[in-house]
Amino acid sequence: MRDVTTESTSDTITAQAQELRRGTVVLACLAMLATPQYGYALLETLNEAGVTVDGNTLYPLLRRLEKQGLLTSEWNTDEARPRKFYVTSAEGSRVCAGLTREWTDLVASINTLTKEA
Amino acid sequence: MTTNSLTERYVHEVTRRIPADQRDEVAAELRASIADTIEGGVADEREVLNEMGDPIRLAAEYADRPLALIGSSTYPAYVRLLKVLLVVVLPIVVVALTVIDVMESNDAGSALGVAIATFFEVGVQIAFWVTLTFALMDRLLSKEEKQETLGKWKPEDLPEITGHDTGSRAELGASILTALGGIGLIVWQRTAEPVTSEAGDRLQVINPDLWSGLIWIPLAGLAIMAVAELARVRDRRHTLPVLAAFSLGELAFSIPVAWWLWDQTFFNPAFLADLENKTDWTPSSGLYTLVALVLLGSAAWEIGKRVRLLLKPR
Repeated sequence: MRDVTTESTSDTITAQAQELRRGTVVLACLAMLATPQYGYALLETLNEAGVTVDGNTLYPLLRRLEKQGLLTSEWNTDEARPRKFYVTSAEGSRVCAGLTREWTDLVASINTLTKEA
Repeated sequence: MTTNSLTERYVHEVTRRIPADQRDEVAAELRASIADTIEGGVADEREVLNEMGDPIRLAAEYADRPLALIGSSTYPAYVRLLKVLLVVVLPIVVVALTVIDVMESNDAGSALGVAIATFFEVGVQIAFWVTLTFALMDRLLSKEEKQETLGKWKPEDLPEITGHDTGSRAELGASILTALGGIGLIVWQRTAEPVTSEAGDRLQVINPDLWSGLIWIPLAGLAIMAVAELARVRDRRHTLPVLAAFSLGELAFSIPVAWWLWDQTFFNPAFLADLENKTDWTPSSGLYTLVALVLLGSAAWEIGKRVRLLLKPR
């Protein structure tokens, strides 16, 4: 059947999809920072992976996660100018594992729901 | 890096709004992130900072501060309190101070001035202090303290539906007060002679000749209207006899007054002459006609509104 989506429908879909992705940022960060990364590199990778997030959201978020003990940070002073990188802490890994389980459950539930609909 | 570059100015604007102990760390991190983004090559310095957005907003994110004066946890209580104060307390204060002024000076101009000035001064003070208190409460109290002080809404708080039409309780009160106030004003201006002419005489506003004639008709009309509205409070709905009485009163008031306005015999000629002396202005016959028509129109509207509500199926 031909997909007849008007412009306003695709706008609504885009807006709601953004809400969906917004919920996944923390999990995505904890997962990706298993290997140390600079803030900006993380931003690029997240955006490429489809988790759209702005710098003005991500950077304060990284600080907040660090304050909660889920990330640790360090300054790399080897290069021309100092750059800060983050890595997931031990506690962060545990939380990441837990969130991943939650995510898998959620995906299964939604799949069932949307099949029934 | 020059101290006046856009980046430096941006970092300064953001970090000065952050608690001092975090300032240096955030500044360093922000500088590094901005530099990284510029190096990424997609955008130049200005565009990167444009994307980063308003420094106030970013600083609030960093400092975990709310971006609203009165947040959602305290807003409903705020709205309720403000409404009660402005709708109940403010009119009482305005009326009280105006009455005091009338008793002291017996002058219409002074009373009007006091009423308007009090309305704005007290109104603004109320709005300001309530807003300030709630803004502080929103920021300083924990969730539990807020619930303790402001109370949590419960279904018992729901007001009863009294059988009056929506919003009509306030309307009812206003219409009774207006009718009684109208009688009061008309009688008062005769006895108190509130306007002082340029020559120093005391003047009435309404034509004194009317008092030896038919002024009692509109006065009776106002009284009937007040009684009819009070009956409506007791009945809790529109009934035909009460509506008939109200309409009679409304017409008894509006028709003579409209006629006197149109005929230009409503106002005291001495008052009009004094007004012209003071302000160089006399009402034109067009203005009189307009006011008369508006008066009649509003009378028809009030009656029509009540008829419509009476006929509405329940």
